[in-house]
Amino acid sequence: MHNFHYPFHHSFTALCSGVLAILAVSYIGLIAVVMSYAASTIEFSQSVRNDESVVAVLEAEYLSAVAQITNTNYAADGYAVPVAKIFVPAKSTTALR
Amino acid sequence: MRAQFRTRIRFILAFIILVTVLIIARLYFVQIVHGEDYAQKADRQFASGGSGLFDRGSIYFTRKDGMLISAATLQTGFLVALNPQTLQDPETAYRAITTIASSSMSRDVFFAAAAKKSQVYVEVVHHLSDQVGQKLSALHISGVQVLRERWRQYPGATLAAQSIGIVSYGSGDTLAGRTGLEAKYDSVLSRSGDSLYKNFFAELFSNVGNLLVSPKDAHEGDIITTIEPEVQTRLESDLAKVNQKYSSKESGGIIMNPATGAILAIANYPSYDANVLQNVDPVLLGNPLVEHVHEFGSIMKPITMTSSLDAGVITPETTYNDTGCITVNKATICNWDLKPRGVIPMKQIIVQSLNLGAAWIATQLGQDAFRMYFTNLFGQETGIDIKNEGSALLGNLSTTQQVNFDNMSFGQGISVTPIQMIRALGAIANGGVMVQPHLVSAVRLNSGIERKLDWNKKVPVFSATAVRETAEMMTAVVDEKLEGGKAMIPTMSVAAKTGTAQLTDGRGGYYKDRFFHSFTGFFPSYNPKFIILLYTNDPQGVQYASETLDETFLDLVHFLIDYYAVPPDRGLSDHGVATSTSSG
Repeated sequence: MHNFHYPFHHSFTALCSGVLAILAVSYIGLIAVVMSYAASTIEFSQSVRNDESVVAVLEAEYLSAVAQITNTNYAADGYAVPVAKIFVPAKSTTALR
Repeated sequence: MRAQFRTRIRFILAFIILVTVLIIARLYFVQIVHGEDYAQKADRQFASGGSGLFDRGSIYFTRKDGMLISAATLQTGFLVALNPQTLQDPETAYRAITTIASSSMSRDVFFAAAAKKSQVYVEVVHHLSDQVGQKLSALHISGVQVLRERWRQYPGATLAAQSIGIVSYGSGDTLAGRTGLEAKYDSVLSRSGDSLYKNFFAELFSNVGNLLVSPKDAHEGDIITTIEPEVQTRLESDLAKVNQKYSSKESGGIIMNPATGAILAIANYPSYDANVLQNVDPVLLGNPLVEHVHEFGSIMKPITMTSSLDAGVITPETTYNDTGCITVNKATICNWDLKPRGVIPMKQIIVQSLNLGAAWIATQLGQDAFRMYFTNLFGQETGIDIKNEGSALLGNLSTTQQVNFDNMSFGQGISVTPIQMIRALGAIANGGVMVQPHLVSAVRLNSGIERKLDWNKKVPVFSATAVRETAEMMTAVVDEKLEGGKAMIPTMSVAAKTGTAQLTDGRGGYYKDRFFHSFTGFFPSYNPKFIILLYTNDPQGVQYASETLDETFLDLVHFLIDYYAVPPDRGLSDHGVATSTSSG
């Protein structure tokens, strides 16, 4: 009776083991990536929000400065209203200064 | 062969083991070394019982150069909460906190919270700065949690507050826009809360479609207004001065581009600071320029005039005999000074603001035509993008008594909102076509796409000839009448009209000594870039709008000419150089 030997017996076991190991590592790796991704997302989003807050503070200062300039009484500060205004064509370099 | 294969297998296994070790090392650092930090961050999101940090889109002003400045944004900081069950020494904790956050917390509030032993979470102070929050967090006080929080911040504080609106809890437990643009565009500005912290792989496996093209990104975003912050500041400043000078009940104003309907500034005084809402009168939270109706008085005369010119019942050369007073339906109608002018042309009705002249041309127009024009102009809401827009009170249009039409011809007996008024007057400045006033020009979606809003709904009401003829008459008001002619700008044509209406007494009549002052104008007269509407309600010790609002109007005109560098439209010399004297 012919004793049949599966030609890839040892290779198949090794292959399955390898695949199993790869799957296990991939699973753990996936968890690690997800956790790192989540942590990074939180860090980045918080960083963006912090930057936005800083910008908002600067914008508040800008708007406050505009209000202060608008409400300045120049006459009280010794400045006089111009008695004449001269409109100069835009091609003049003087008008661009 | 087999040995070679075994070697390869071993090599692969060694590689896998190495990767495994690296991953385990990474997990060790994430979970063990930094685990406590991440746990605390997670606690900060869930300990307060909320669904994460408050998130909401921004609202922007648009400067003349196109730069966006935040009108409403988010501020990040910290709050302090107590767990009364684990807080062992409240006195020490209080001292430690107040050492760093000195004036932020009331002692009574802190100890009242600490006494609530049945609770595990009581917030005691909000809106601490990042620096203070970090210092407090580093103290690690038992029973005291220092949690990150975000809140709505309005960098301009009072700037356009009534138009930008507010965010509050209302009657529910969700922060949402309640007034102004915050309410109108709430669906664009509000966030579902998970967008920043979504799990990439969970999203990938559960709904790959949403990951690639999120439906939220198609409607969530920021909104960009047409409000110019420096123009808005100027308008608010000027209105405050008028209101304080004449102790008015309120004063308001709108500056709009008559060709597009884009509102550059819209303000009412008094208003409120959107960052400090604790003691705000709820009446102020609405937008009176959109919600409230007024009898505007003589700034209605240019509309009556244009209607009659458009209908062809009069021409600028038509004359009439002004007798000073007339009796219509047993009611007496008089000019503001009771004086007759004799036979005069149409232009003088606008220049001298003659009630009899307005009544005369309304009679020439006829009730049906008058009704048609005024229904077209005021019969519908403007559709401005602010909630709770008011409707005009046009009951007198449905009557047949001529005295009612005569009164409406000069702005009494007809009540409209300021936004309706500037829209109707804008037709005179825009070739006879009414545009749709609006505050938001575009929505900037989270996907990065900027979606321009369509505000191209235009309603033709007058002919171009009729509006030009009226514009000439209104220009004469500035050149000949305002401040005795000194208000004239030699290099810029400016059209204007004053209005003084008697206030209703609530009993079907009018006060004889209480007034509503209004003022409108646009420039350059024949190709306007700006139209301005101003009013002050019940000013004290002064009768006519030419006394209260002319200075404000002229200040705004000169400011806009300078700020936008509006080129001269007249007074040019042969060499192309214009010189002028100016009242500033």
